[in-house]
Amino acid sequence: MSSRHFTRVHGSVREYEVFARKARIDPLRMIGSVVAPDDDLAAAYARATYDEERWIEMAIVPREAMTILWAPGEDVD
Amino acid sequence: MSLSTLVLSLADNKLMLGLRYAEWATRAPSLEADIAAAAMGLDDLGHSRVLYGCLDPLGEDPRGPERETDAASHLSLPYFDRPWTSWAQFVAANSVLDTAFSVMIQACVEGDVEVLRTRLRKMLNEERYHFLHGRSWLRAGIDQEPLNEAWRQAIEWYGPPDGEVAGLNRRGALSMGPAALLSRLEERLEATAPRVAIDWTAWDTTRRRGRPGVLDERTFGMLRGLEEKRFYPAGA
Repeated sequence: MSSRHFTRVHGSVREYEVFARKARIDPLRMIGSVVAPDDDLAAAYARATYDEERWIEMAIVPREAMTILWAPGEDVD
Repeated sequence: MSLSTLVLSLADNKLMLGLRYAEWATRAPSLEADIAAAAMGLDDLGHSRVLYGCLDPLGEDPRGPERETDAASHLSLPYFDRPWTSWAQFVAANSVLDTAFSVMIQACVEGDVEVLRTRLRKMLNEERYHFLHGRSWLRAGIDQEPLNEAWRQAIEWYGPPDGEVAGLNRRGALSMGPAALLSRLEERLEATAPRVAIDWTAWDTTRRRGRPGVLDERTFGMLRGLEEKRFYPAGA
């Protein structure tokens, strides 16, 4: 295993999920994620990273704000 | 100085800002910042192209044949004369100079010149993300020296209190004069510009800069397509 460690520039970062849609009739769907220290930089990174398509709407949500009911491999009660 | 020359100055500065951003597309401190540098570079290169396209409709294209031979005929600021050697220089340009140009674009969009009102509006939407990027990195803290230099050059670029930009404002072509432009820039960045003493008698009215100098030879060659020619097959 490599002994190299990846160190981020910012000491404290959050993961943000990126959502977008191409048409009004489409639901917002998750298209990826970005990691940033604050909402402003996360917005700039999301737009820069995922702007190759003609989205009519794009939104970001801090991953920690999402309540996961169950995850892959977990039982659905 | 005419409105066309001001638009050419804006175009040349946007072109150089885009090129210098792009140079950092593989050198920024994180992968996300790499991508942002590339995307913002692409935006500003596109903006320069739109601005150059406004010169003809404005009725007077100030560009002459000397643009092919004389680097001093390009109207960019000293900040872009050499490639940036530190991330702090990138952040200072991204936060202060990029926003300074956006404030001027806003003054054009709010002015009474139709071609500028209609063609430049979309730039402001794209620039919002440059602003968020620059402001966030600025808040993280950078060296003061490039920041002060960026402020100085932004103030110089807006020009003297009684100069041509003030005249364009009085004529209605721009919604703001130099003082209002600087005030809007400070308001957007939530910062106060450092006090700088500017000798307006030594200021270059066409290039809108306070000191001499030109683009480095390699960059000037690249603008004219000479760098690409090095890779042409022999005899082409």
